[in-house]
Amino acid sequence: MGTYILKRILQMIPLLLLISLVIYGLTALQPGDPVDQLTFGNTNITPEDIARLKAAYGLDQPWYTRYLFWLGQAVRGDLGYSQDFNIPATEFVFQQRMPNTLLLTVPALVLSTLIAVPLGIFSAIRQYSLPDYLLTFLSFLAFSAPVFWVGAMALYLFAIFLPNVTGGAVSLPPGGLGGDVPADAGWWAVALDKLKYLILPLSILMLREIAVTTRFMRASMLEVMNQDFIRTARAKGLPARRVLYKHALRNALVPILTIMGLSIPGLFGGAVITETVFSWPGMGKAILDALVSKDFNVVMVSLMLLSILTVVFQLLTDLAYAAVDPRIRYS
Amino acid sequence: MKKTLVLSALLLGMALAGPANNSLVVGTSQEPPNIYDPWNTNNLAVTSEINGYMGAALIAPDDDGDLYADIATAVPTLANGGYKVVKNAAGDVVRNSMTYSIRKDAKWSDGTPIKVADFQFWLKVVNDDRVPVPERTPWNRAKITAVDGDTFTVTYEPPYLFADQTGPGLAPSHIMSASWNAFDNATKNQKDAKVVNEEWKKFISAFTTARNLPKVVAGPFRPTSWRSGNSLTMTRNPNYWRKPKGDLNNYVQTVTYRFIPNTNTLKVNVLSGQLDAISAVSLTFDQAIDLQRSERGKFKTYFVPGAIWEHIDVNARGTKAKELDLDDPRMRQALLLSIDRDALTKALFQGKQAVSNSWVNPISKLYKKNVRDYNQNVAQARQLFTQLGWTPGSDGILQKNGRKLALNFSTTAGNSTRERVQQILQDQWKKVGVQVTIQNYPASVFFGPDMLSKGQEGKWDLAMYAWTGNPIFEEGNLFKAESIPTAANGYAGQNYSGWNDAEFNRLHKQAQTEFSLPERIKLFDRMQTIWSSELPALPLYYRVNPYTKVTGLNNYTFSAYTLYPSWNAYQIGWASRGAAEVNKQK
Repeated sequence: MGTYILKRILQMIPLLLLISLVIYGLTALQPGDPVDQLTFGNTNITPEDIARLKAAYGLDQPWYTRYLFWLGQAVRGDLGYSQDFNIPATEFVFQQRMPNTLLLTVPALVLSTLIAVPLGIFSAIRQYSLPDYLLTFLSFLAFSAPVFWVGAMALYLFAIFLPNVTGGAVSLPPGGLGGDVPADAGWWAVALDKLKYLILPLSILMLREIAVTTRFMRASMLEVMNQDFIRTARAKGLPARRVLYKHALRNALVPILTIMGLSIPGLFGGAVITETVFSWPGMGKAILDALVSKDFNVVMVSLMLLSILTVVFQLLTDLAYAAVDPRIRYS
Repeated sequence: MKKTLVLSALLLGMALAGPANNSLVVGTSQEPPNIYDPWNTNNLAVTSEINGYMGAALIAPDDDGDLYADIATAVPTLANGGYKVVKNAAGDVVRNSMTYSIRKDAKWSDGTPIKVADFQFWLKVVNDDRVPVPERTPWNRAKITAVDGDTFTVTYEPPYLFADQTGPGLAPSHIMSASWNAFDNATKNQKDAKVVNEEWKKFISAFTTARNLPKVVAGPFRPTSWRSGNSLTMTRNPNYWRKPKGDLNNYVQTVTYRFIPNTNTLKVNVLSGQLDAISAVSLTFDQAIDLQRSERGKFKTYFVPGAIWEHIDVNARGTKAKELDLDDPRMRQALLLSIDRDALTKALFQGKQAVSNSWVNPISKLYKKNVRDYNQNVAQARQLFTQLGWTPGSDGILQKNGRKLALNFSTTAGNSTRERVQQILQDQWKKVGVQVTIQNYPASVFFGPDMLSKGQEGKWDLAMYAWTGNPIFEEGNLFKAESIPTAANGYAGQNYSGWNDAEFNRLHKQAQTEFSLPERIKLFDRMQTIWSSELPALPLYYRVNPYTKVTGLNNYTFSAYTLYPSWNAYQIGWASRGAAEVNKQK
């Protein structure tokens, strides 16, 4: 097992180097650069001004030279400054945006899993019953409806319609991250303030997660329950509850683990549409903005972080398979 | 229980923001990368707007374009001797200068008096080659000479056309000098410009970012809290010298900018009463029209004539342009006469964005009021097409020498307003036999190095986009010959249509050194006549800047001269709290 893990870790190094080269190359090959954006519309700017700015930002060099410079600095731990925010790119990503994203996505994943797994099991063991049909219908509805539309409707309902109808008794904030109370108002007041702003985006994000995970859980459970070893267990006269929770569920969780393993890097990447609709300043929006404005260092820090998380969690997922499925061995 | 009560009180306080706690909550769709960077190394509009609350200037224009003195004791003019123009024997102006006296009570927010050294420090840094200031005009030719502790002269040699309209900036030398010297020492022999730039970022970010708020400012408000990605709060600067009418406590004491990047969410915030006003950088025109329908007396929507000119450049360069006669002014006139811009602005903008006939802003003193108005005249357009040899083919499309009059019409993809304009114009042109194919590009491609500036290669025929035409600093640079991007000049310059008119160029050069406004008006009058007859671009309309504010908020106004409502920050206040109304939104 130890050799297997070491081998996988060593394989990650060239893979991540290749990923960094591809990300840098593709970002740099976009048309235009930050100086073009800075100078467009300024008829007083001279070619000398443009050349001076391009040299200052290192844009007078070919992209591969800039990549090598970036790599050289990165291995020394210096990931550069954000072009747009004038602060270190790592500080922007890790201190300003990622905590907001995690505040939104981690509860979304945990809560939706806690809700969806029992719902999936319930739906599977009552296959073709009315509750199963109802859950299937609601699941399809939840993941078919576009997030931006559901978000906009929720905003209208809770921020405009209900406050008007109830004279403000039922009201949720129309987007943002909180801040209605002073930062020194005490942790309880600050937390409640944040929670108030979190409810709508979290609910919208969870809606989709619950729908998807419920469907996966249902399908996985049904597949396992139709297998021979479950029929054998039943034939042996084991109690239904034991067959379900000890034999079936453990096996049915393998595909769910795969989904969760792949979802975790996504938690750090943020939920672009939800963040956009609710003006939640998280990673998804930050990556999109950085790509558009060609804030290279922020793009590199964000996307490399996601790449590292993806390969690490793939390894952890593979290891988790062995833990839940005795047939899987890495020796 | 106690906590719940405190929280309820706080939430209620927020819900009643505005008159109840004498604060102002403004929504904007952008967050500035940094604030109060005295050298403006980023050029985002929202940065300028927010800096307006914290900044002060020697002199500045009001909503009517008239100058007022802020840090200076008076506006220097030719009449009071503060503005001097020096001519040589031939009568040419060789240099000009402005003499400013700093008010005795002008102080930084920490109480330190503003001194000549603060202007000199600013000028030294702005002209330092290591500093990534986008452009240095006119500061690279300016010199500051102290007359005494509070009076100084700025001399421009060669002279600066708008010396009497603007003054140099200032930076708190008592706060920043030591860090600047450290930057200076660290980068003195550094050859790599990128390394120098990283050092610059370290220097400037120590004074201007969310984690390092400006240490001192000069304007009526000072920043007190910046929650990155969320909001920025500023409170009254007790050391600011200009005072509004009556008791200062009657005016807004706290201003909070909330950053809401999604403009639809911003709109919902206005409707739900979370915002007292929105920034000049916020809603789209359509969203403002929607909001106007939902005012119900809670807020009011304004459409302020702006400085942004929408137009269509006609590519007159390259083989294809010649074959299509786009290099002939008659073709461009015919294209403009074929379309009904009045109907277009009525249909799309309820007539709030008036049709333009010149690149000069209609509120500028240089605007020619009787410039030719190209009202739709299909008969005249057909006549011009015929003169050029274009006749309708069997499919109704104009043809000449076997070639159809088929044009590519491009703009920034995803801009729904421009896309609707395109569809209306495409339809109108079709009716006169011009086949127009819409081919749009993402903004990064459209404004990138391979599109507009490569007109010579026939990459586009018609390109719709906007320019900001400052009504004060209009120089006519858009259409000068030196600005035609070519391989020889490294594709620098922004005269994308490639128009080159000898008389226009001569007049433009003359206007650049004409210091008498009445004479410059005459030169611009002729320049606009030539331009209007040649039509290197098809003028569409000047955009308006929409915004909303809650009823009773006084002196939150702006115009194409002041650009942002923060220009008058010290007088912003609520009528219900006793704030006097000095400026009305026009």
